[in-house]
Amino acid sequence: MANHQHSLSCYQNWMSQQRLDLEELLQGLTNFPTDPDYLRLLVKKNISHFEDYHAARAQLAKLNGPSFFAPAWGTTFENSSLWIGGCRPSLIIRLVYVLCGSHQTEHLAEFFEGVSRGDLGDISGAQLKSIDALHAKIVKDEDKLTSIFASLQERIADEPLALLAYKCRNVGESSQREVVDRAMDGHALDMYKILMEADRLRLDILKRMIDILTPLQAVEFLAASKKLQLSLHEWSKSRDVQMGITQLLSTNNPSSSGGAP
Amino acid sequence: MAEICCGVVSENEASSACESNSKATRRKRMDLRRVNFVPTIEKENGVKQARLSISPASFSRDCNNNCNTTELKPKLKRKPDDEGDEIEVDGAKPVPLVAAIFRPSGSAVFVDGEKVPKFGVASVCGRRRDMEDAVAIHPSFLTVENDRTSGVHYFGVYDGHGCSHVATRCKDRLHLLVKEELNKKLELTTEWAKTMERSFNRMDKEVVDWNKGTVGGNCRCELQAPESDAVGSTAVVAITTPDKIIVANCGDSRAVLCRNGKAVPLSSDHKPDRPDELNRIQAAGGRVIYWEGARVLGVLAMSRAIGDNYLKPYVICEPEVTITDRAGDDECLIIASDGLWDVVSNDTACGVARMCLKGKGPPASMKTPVENNEEPGSEKWDKACSDASMLLTKLALARRSSDNVSVVVIDLRKK
Repeated sequence: MANHQHSLSCYQNWMSQQRLDLEELLQGLTNFPTDPDYLRLLVKKNISHFEDYHAARAQLAKLNGPSFFAPAWGTTFENSSLWIGGCRPSLIIRLVYVLCGSHQTEHLAEFFEGVSRGDLGDISGAQLKSIDALHAKIVKDEDKLTSIFASLQERIADEPLALLAYKCRNVGESSQREVVDRAMDGHALDMYKILMEADRLRLDILKRMIDILTPLQAVEFLAASKKLQLSLHEWSKSRDVQMGITQLLSTNNPSSSGGAP
Repeated sequence: MAEICCGVVSENEASSACESNSKATRRKRMDLRRVNFVPTIEKENGVKQARLSISPASFSRDCNNNCNTTELKPKLKRKPDDEGDEIEVDGAKPVPLVAAIFRPSGSAVFVDGEKVPKFGVASVCGRRRDMEDAVAIHPSFLTVENDRTSGVHYFGVYDGHGCSHVATRCKDRLHLLVKEELNKKLELTTEWAKTMERSFNRMDKEVVDWNKGTVGGNCRCELQAPESDAVGSTAVVAITTPDKIIVANCGDSRAVLCRNGKAVPLSSDHKPDRPDELNRIQAAGGRVIYWEGARVLGVLAMSRAIGDNYLKPYVICEPEVTITDRAGDDECLIIASDGLWDVVSNDTACGVARMCLKGKGPPASMKTPVENNEEPGSEKWDKACSDASMLLTKLALARRSSDNVSVVVIDLRKK
């Protein structure tokens, strides 16, 4: 229980941190769009916040890995799109493409006049090539982890849990409690391990994408992704409430915020 | 919803559907996947498919280790140390084949002599998870010592469906087949149509035979025989000579000539609801069923393709060939997969390409991190054509193309 509370506040801290970061990113875009050094600094700061969050989460997940796969603090909508306890890395590609596209349609005329804005609409040929190569890598890595995850899930229906259940006289009886606990602990540990792998991949992909982008584009991209995550959370929360799912109402108050853990 | 349907069209067109009357569940799964608009829904065990590889003669990356590729290209011997830019053909003196079609862009040229075409390529996976497009470019692809054949360049775009391996085979083989067929002739200028037909036919036969050969194979693309019968590819091939443009097309990729500011299509898409194609299919005893667009037997959203053995004789591999005399006011030729044409009209594409060729492309000053130290051979590229192909690709992505996008732009202006 205590662990759950910690996990919850870790999450809440992270969301508050992201709100602050978003603010800062947006201000950077407005006030210092031509200062690549400052923008680079912003990006670096953001990445280190990511790393902090992952580190904190790793500590907690070690104790209860499975709790991060459909967390109680996520909305039903959010949880339905989780991939191994977080966002699917390939979302990054979509997000870049859609941002690039929306800029480009807006500014196609300007483009022909030789106006360069340097934003995500100005993805160059070399960048597009790198993004496409990254896309190939992401799909490959994602599929690899997905496959490992699948094997992990399948193990539920195998030795020892399946046979322990089969041999029970009464459903859920606790005569074999120790064996059951040992098996479930082992499984939880495996879940923790793959969660770590997935988090590593998520961060790695994010860093690679940022390396491809210019500082301005990177800040724009980070701002957009935070906006998306935060907005989705709010939107889906109100949908949950409408449907009578109120578990999140109690976690509504981000009073425990105050910097990354 | 209308919007979503627009976005979906290209995927649907690429192939297949979910008919219930035939074939294995596996193919059905594949079909479902293709009409699936939301790619983030993970299909079971993360189906892996091949991607465009870098070297011109090699098989695609993911199939590389597993598919038996050697048996059908005994004549190709890769030199040990090169990066795939050169191929030794049949023990003859090395013919510089260019080619290296990098993903997504690239257009390197090192052909001796002055008859070097200017072109640019962009080819990206886009919003799909699988890359099924392939591009082949072979400047001066005929035997070099033969005078009559200098200045003849080969450009091909192949858009695979079901898996990428038919498209990849086309990329590796079709130009060689065309070359063989051409070398049988004394006069290059005659019988282009026959030559292309024969080449496409042989290509189709190779693909079908090869599929048969993979029974019990270990190709990871999960479309082993007999399901591999359900794999195919479009092929649009443009051959430019000093005075002509020959376009052979099979499927729904397209070649468009930009002449004096106007778009002149040099190929006509093979759609099942094109009246003459519909008649041909029905005459052969087939049916066209509307299932998210017109589809042959409710499955394939094009009426001609290389491969797709299971839909014969309704789907045929015979190309339509156009021969166009080059004119002084020809600007460029655009060859692309339907990932572009689904969302960008011929006229818009020509407009964009023209602008780039006129030097209004992205400003050179706009340097990005990856641009500064990459692509040492970039001076060999044609910047304007590359910009054009890249911009068209970006435009397709911007307009929510949901398919792979491959674009080749060839500068036709007289120097």
